[in-house]
Amino acid sequence: MPFFKDRNCYLKNYNLSLTDKIKAFNYKLLALVCLTVFIGIGTLYSAANGNLDPWADKQFMRFLLSLSVLICVSMVNLRLWMKYAYWIYGISFLLLIGVTLFGHVGMGAQRWLNLGFMRLQPSELMKIALVLALARYFHSVTLNDIRSIRSIIPPALMMILPVSLILEQPDLGTALMLVFATAAIFFLVGVEWWKFALVGTGVLTAIPILWTCLHEYQKKRVMTFLNPESDPLGSGYHIMQSKIALGSGGLLGKGFMESTQSRLNFLPEKQTDFIFTLIAEEFGFLGSTVLILLFLSIIIYCFYIGVISNNYFGKVLATGLGVNFALYVFINIGMVSGLLPVVGVPLPLVSYGGTAMMTLFFGFGLVEAVYINKEMVIGRNGSIDDD
Amino acid sequence: MSAPWKYEKDRVFSKRILVLLGFFLLLIAVLISRVFYLQILQGERYKFLADKNRTSIRLTMPSRGNIFDRNGVKLAENKKTFQAILIKDEAQNVDLVIENFSKIIPLEEDEITRIQKDLKKKRAYMPVLIKDGLSFSDIAKLHLNAPDLIGLQIEEELTRFYPFKDQNAHLIGYVSLLNERDLENNPDSPLADLPGYRIGRTGVEHSFESVLKGSPGMRKREVNAYGHLVRVLEEKDAEKGENLNLTIDSRLQKVALEALNGESASAVVMDVNTGAILALVSSPSFDSNIFTMPVSTKVWKSLINNERRPLQNKALTGTYSPGSIFKLVVSLAALEEKATYQQKKIYCNGKHTVGNHDFHCWKRGGHGFVNLEEALMHSCDVYFYQIAEQIGAEKILAMARRFGLGSALDIGIKGEKEGLVPSSAWKKSRFKDEWRTGDTINLSIGQGFITTTPLQLVYLISQIANGGYKVKPHIIQGQELLNPPSLNLNAWHLRLVKSGMNMVVNNEKGTAYRSRFVQKGERMAGKTASTQVRRISKKEREKGVISQDKLPWKYRDHAIFGAYAPLDKPRLAVVVMVEHGGGGASAAAPVASQILKEALRLFPAEKKEEKESNIPLKTEPRQSQHLKNAQPTSLAPQPMPLLLKSEQNTQESLVKKKSENQTPNKLERI
Repeated sequence: MPFFKDRNCYLKNYNLSLTDKIKAFNYKLLALVCLTVFIGIGTLYSAANGNLDPWADKQFMRFLLSLSVLICVSMVNLRLWMKYAYWIYGISFLLLIGVTLFGHVGMGAQRWLNLGFMRLQPSELMKIALVLALARYFHSVTLNDIRSIRSIIPPALMMILPVSLILEQPDLGTALMLVFATAAIFFLVGVEWWKFALVGTGVLTAIPILWTCLHEYQKKRVMTFLNPESDPLGSGYHIMQSKIALGSGGLLGKGFMESTQSRLNFLPEKQTDFIFTLIAEEFGFLGSTVLILLFLSIIIYCFYIGVISNNYFGKVLATGLGVNFALYVFINIGMVSGLLPVVGVPLPLVSYGGTAMMTLFFGFGLVEAVYINKEMVIGRNGSIDDD
Repeated sequence: MSAPWKYEKDRVFSKRILVLLGFFLLLIAVLISRVFYLQILQGERYKFLADKNRTSIRLTMPSRGNIFDRNGVKLAENKKTFQAILIKDEAQNVDLVIENFSKIIPLEEDEITRIQKDLKKKRAYMPVLIKDGLSFSDIAKLHLNAPDLIGLQIEEELTRFYPFKDQNAHLIGYVSLLNERDLENNPDSPLADLPGYRIGRTGVEHSFESVLKGSPGMRKREVNAYGHLVRVLEEKDAEKGENLNLTIDSRLQKVALEALNGESASAVVMDVNTGAILALVSSPSFDSNIFTMPVSTKVWKSLINNERRPLQNKALTGTYSPGSIFKLVVSLAALEEKATYQQKKIYCNGKHTVGNHDFHCWKRGGHGFVNLEEALMHSCDVYFYQIAEQIGAEKILAMARRFGLGSALDIGIKGEKEGLVPSSAWKKSRFKDEWRTGDTINLSIGQGFITTTPLQLVYLISQIANGGYKVKPHIIQGQELLNPPSLNLNAWHLRLVKSGMNMVVNNEKGTAYRSRFVQKGERMAGKTASTQVRRISKKEREKGVISQDKLPWKYRDHAIFGAYAPLDKPRLAVVVMVEHGGGGASAAAPVASQILKEALRLFPAEKKEEKESNIPLKTEPRQSQHLKNAQPTSLAPQPMPLLLKSEQNTQESLVKKKSENQTPNKLERI
C-alpha cells in the first residue's frame, strides 16, 4: 500500500546533521553555477581590455561573498525557510515601499536603497521572496482549492502588489519577470488552462490601456524594438549596435580579447546587460551556443530537483527559482539579439552587478536546501505529521 | 484521509513540469536559432557593418593644380587661408559658440542656417565648417576669445585664388564648395566630410577638373564609438593636381576686357596659324574669387538678374546671326561654284524682289554696279541676295560647314554651343515647311536661321587668313596640328575675299574705314556685321529707319567685327561681338582695332621665319603628357611626320616641281 510507504518516509531524515548536509549537497549544480560565473569574470576581464580593474576583480569578490551566502542558505533547514517564507516576503515588500519613498534614482529609475555599506535593490530580493511565499502558499492548499478561483486570489495579490510598486519605479523588466514567474508557478501547481486563456485575452484587450500607463522611455524602447533601424543614432542605437557586434562574431568569433565593437565602445553597457553580445562577438556562434546550453543545464537541474523533492514546498521552490533563472536568460538574450525590447534585465551570473549575483546565489542556496532536504516530508502547516 | 490528494497534486506537478520544460526547450531553440541567424546567416553583413562602424576614413585636401598663361603668369593659384571648424562633441554649448563667434566675425543669416543644417546632419565627431577664408587678424581675434569658443578649431587650408580677379573669369571659370546637390548625387563620397573641398564649376576649372583636382590623401583610422583615434590602419598622402598651361596671354586678356568697356560683349583673339586662342573675354565680367566662398544671396541675385548676363561666357555660348560676316562664306561658295564671279558686276538698286516680296539693301537707293570685292567693302546686300539665289543655299551651307560653323570647335572648355547651320531637311522637321528662296536670301546676309558663336567666327576669319587651313582651335598649349588639313580652297578665291576685307578697312569707302590703323607698317583687314534683333516693318522703312541710338538698348542691332592682321602673312584674327551695340562699324570695329593693335605689338612677326607661316608664334614648352590624354582630339593621327625646317623647304620645292596642279599641302602666301 502506498499509504504505509508514505508513512515510513515521514520518519526519514527530518533532522540532518551538518555533515549529512555537506554530504547531501549537490556539487554538480554548484559546479555549473560557478563555471558560469567564471565565464562572466573572464568576459569582464576582456571587456576591460585585459584588466582585472574595474570589473573582474570586484565581481570575483562578490562571487566569494555570494558563494558563502549560498552555502549558509543551503545549510538552513528547509522547514525554517518555509516557516519564515511569508516574513521574508513581507520584509521585501516593506523594503520595496521604502525604495519608492526614499530610493536612489539611477538611470531614470528608482531602484536602489542605499544602506551605507551596500546598495540594496528590493525588487531583486522580491524575485526570491515571491517564489518563497508562493511555494509556502501552494504547499498548504489542496488541489481542489487550487482549482477554485477564491484560493487563487491571495497568491495573485502576492504578485500584483509588488509588481505595481516595481512598475512605479519604473522597472518593466523585473515586473515582467515577476508576472511570468508567478504565471509559471500557477501553471505548475495545476491551475486550469482556461484560466490562463481567460487572463491572456484579458491582458491582450487591456494592452491599449496599459500602453498609456507606460513611461515615455519605455514606449520609445518598445517602438524602437519594433523598428530599430529607423533611428540608428538615436534610441535604436543599442539594438543596432548589439546586433552588429553579435552578428560580426560569425561561427568561431574574433577570439578572446579580440572583439572590436565592444571594446571600441560601440556596444553600450557591454559589462552589464549586453555582456552576451561581447561573448558572442569573441567566441562566435559556437561559444554562444555553449553558453546557452550551460544555462539550459542549470535550468534542467533546478527542475530535476523540483521533481525529486518529496515535499511540495521544495518542489515549487526549486522549480520556481529555476523558472526565475530561465526568465533572466530568455529575456536578456532575446533582448540583446533583437527579439525583445530592451528592458534592462542582466544575464544571470555573467553580467557585472552585485545585487543580481547575490540574489541568484541566494536562490541557488535555496535550491540546494531543497536538494539536501529532498527526502523531508513537511505537513500542510509545516509540521511533520499534521495532515 | 489526505494522501490521495497529495499524490494527485504531485502527479499534476510532475506532468506540468514536463510541459513547462518542453516549452523552455522551445524557447532555448528559438534563442539558438536567432543567434544562428545573426552570426551565421547574416554574419557577413554584420561583419561589414562592424568594419564600417570602427573605421573612419579621413581625407586630406589635395592642392589644386595651378593655371598659367602662355608666358607662365599664374592665372589661378592656391592661397593659404584659415578656416574655423566646430566639432560638436567637443563643444559644451554649440549655439553659444556660434553666437560668440558671430560677435567676433559676423556671420550672415544663410551661413547660420547652413551651419545649423550641417550640425544636425553630421555625426558628433565630424567637423562642421563655420567660416573659411579667414585672415590672420581674424585668427588672432578668435584666439583672444578662445575661452568662449570651446570646440572651435582653426585649420589651415588652401583656397583658390585668382590674382587677375575678373580678367579671366569666363575662361578660367571658378571653383566653389560642394553644395547639397553634389552631395545628393554622391551620398557616399567621403569628400562630403572634407570641409573646404571645392570643385570647378565653369570654364577651365570645370573642364579640366579631373586633371587639376589631384587626389585627396587618406587616413583610414580605427576609431571608437566617440570617434577618437585608436590606431591608424592605412595612410596615403594627398597628390597635388597637375598644372595647366594655357595659350592665353594675360596681357592681351586685360587689353581685350578693357576694350569691351563693360558692354554686353565678347572678344576672341586667335593665332591664325596654330589655332591657339590668345584671348577670350566676355563682358561684363565678374570676380572669380567671390565664388570661392559661399556667395551671398544678394550678390548672386545681382549677377543673375543683370540683363547683360555677366555669368555667361558669350564668346562660347552666345549664338548670334553672323550677319554680313557670313558674306565671306557666300563669296567663297559662289567663287567655287562659278569662277566668273571673280569679275562679275551686279547692279544694286537698293532692293531685290523675289515673288512679291522686296528684300532691301541696307543702303537706300543702292550701291549701283558692284563687283565682289566692292560688295564686300560696302557690305552690299543686294549683290549677295542675287548670287545666293543663283548658286542656291546648299552650296553656301556646305561651305559654312567646311569652315566648322554649326559644330562645336571643342577648344577644351565644356558647354560650348554649336550654333546652327540649317538645311532644308532641318527646316522640314522643325517647321514642317519647304526651304524657300526667301530663306536663301536671308541666309546670304547671315540672317534667318543661321547662328554662330563668336568663337566660330574667329575660326572662320582665321581659316581665311591662313590660306584655308583647318587649324585646331585650342586653349591648352601643345595641341596645335603640325600639318593641319587643307580646306582645298582656291588661292585666288581667297585672295579676292581677302582683298574685299582689306577694302572694308583700308578703302575710304569701306564700312570700317574709321577703324583702320598702320602700326609698324602692319594693317588689318576685316568685315563688319550688324545683325537685326527685330524686324523692320514696311511702315517703318517708309518713315525712314530709326537711328540705333534712339532705340531702347535691347532692340538695337548686334554689332560684330571680324578682322585679321597683318594683311601680308596674317598672324592674328579677332572677333568682337557687342550685343545691341548698334552697328558693327561703329561699335565693334574700333574695339577690334584696339585689340589687334595691341596683339600685333605683343606678337611681332618673327623675321627669320618668313617662309614658314604655319608655325606657332611661340614655342610652348610647358606641356605635360596628361593634357593630351585629357583632350583626345589632340591625339588625332597626324599623317605627316614632323619635319625639320630645312627638310620642309626641300620637300616643299619637291612637291612644287613634281606636280604643279596638285593642291598645295603647305600654307601658301598671298
